[in-house]
Amino acid sequence: MEETRVVQGTWDISTFKFRIEGVGLRRMLDGMKEGKLVGTRCHKCGTVYLPGPFYCRKCHIEINEPTEVSDHGEIMTYTIGYADVRGNPLDEPRIAPVVKLDGCDSWIMGVLQGVKPEDVHVGMRVKVQWAEERTGSLQDMAYYVPE
Amino acid sequence: MDINVAIVGYRMQSAPDLVTSRERLVFELTRGLFDDLGIERTDVDTTILDSNDFMDGRTISNVFIDPPAGVYMRDESKVEMDAANAVIYACMRILTGQYDTAMVVGIALTGSQASPYLYIEYTLNPTYERQVKLLNEVNAAAFQARSYIDRFGYSERLLDDIAALSLANAALNPNQARRISGITADKVAASAMYYEPLRELHCYPPTDGGCALLLASERKAKELTDKPVWIKGMGMSTETYYLGERKLYQSSSAAEAAQRAYELAGVKKPAQEIDVAEISALFAHQEPLLAEAMGLMGEGKAEQAYAAGETAIGGKLPINPSGGALGAHPVSVTGLMRVAEAARQLRGEAGDNQVKKAELAVVHGQDGVCAQQNAVLVLGI
Repeated sequence: MEETRVVQGTWDISTFKFRIEGVGLRRMLDGMKEGKLVGTRCHKCGTVYLPGPFYCRKCHIEINEPTEVSDHGEIMTYTIGYADVRGNPLDEPRIAPVVKLDGCDSWIMGVLQGVKPEDVHVGMRVKVQWAEERTGSLQDMAYYVPE
Repeated sequence: MDINVAIVGYRMQSAPDLVTSRERLVFELTRGLFDDLGIERTDVDTTILDSNDFMDGRTISNVFIDPPAGVYMRDESKVEMDAANAVIYACMRILTGQYDTAMVVGIALTGSQASPYLYIEYTLNPTYERQVKLLNEVNAAAFQARSYIDRFGYSERLLDDIAALSLANAALNPNQARRISGITADKVAASAMYYEPLRELHCYPPTDGGCALLLASERKAKELTDKPVWIKGMGMSTETYYLGERKLYQSSSAAEAAQRAYELAGVKKPAQEIDVAEISALFAHQEPLLAEAMGLMGEGKAEQAYAAGETAIGGKLPINPSGGALGAHPVSVTGLMRVAEAARQLRGEAGDNQVKKAELAVVHGQDGVCAQQNAVLVLGI
């Protein structure tokens, strides 16, 4: 090419709002403050979701039945990360399992501590380590530890 | 067309702020549609979702609205243009013979949760117009409006008359977002000036909205409804992006899209044969400009036509009896709402907006700055 140029562009994404269905998330956060995990159960097919959506994916009906699930569960899959989501290197490798909590159909991700990366495996039993001071935020569910 | 395809049901809503989430809007539209027809989500063979990633604030935005649309372990794909194109795509899927039903769902929260004007800024060429910093959607439309009224020697009052008629129709229509009671041309003329000659009430309002439509093959349509609305013709056309390469006082791409649709539908003299038109005119001047392109109004006859009330609900050829896009413009959903409004007319369900004899309708959707891309459908009973 005879001539190419670079023109500086911007992509401003600061102006969006996302109004969300709050019930399922509020229910989960309120429960977490008490050290409980509360999801939503479909009254038709029985599927339990955490956090709870306002409709059942399968039945396509509105749902709103609170249901408590265990804070113990099983690792369904995991990865050991060496960088954060933007690709910046981490000081220590981070174990991120996806856990199926007992009594819940959906899986929920988090960070696993108290175990060496080489000892993690699918099927491993873990439990939630709750934050000492719980405020009703996602950080209340601090991390997972081996059961 | 060998396989006949019909619209068998629709749901739509709009407001300046629907006070809802994207997911709930989709869920309520589709749940309502299924309940109207007595079907479940598994009765829908294929779904076309229409949303705009930039307006949605998420890329591949259909992945979030698939499940509330009932698309769980089902067949879905997405259109990211005006949803009149999505209706054409859905119709084509049925024409393959592989599907008996196809649903189209479009949503946009461009009233409460994202700015429609920002969106147009980002459709501009980053290496030229964005650098020049003179163009946004409204002043581009102002260039088009000035070019159009100057070409035929119209007065700016024409814009007030067109807007007043549209807004009066919109005020009667529960599906519309901007409903002003007692609207007059004088009130339009007293609204804020944006870019001359365009004032606030000549322009579409920022709107939240959504629409769901179910199409079915002839066999299936007869099971689902006794009031099918047949898709008789469809056409699309796109012209050059650069405004400087277009004759802004006319729309050659709308003309070509309409010609294709009329050919398929066997419509020879649209101005005589069409009973009602729903045109996506985002700005007042676009209504006669597009109506001329679509063969519904003679060139240079706009002042005469509006003065004589030819396009009013009781007129010779009603245009936008629903109130059109001056009543609501959820970005990218508007063409789909025009399709639903035309179906509402043809099924005799239009209430205060009902046109007396409504058997053959033409519908239009547009995309891009100054209607660069146009889609036209002919619907009939």
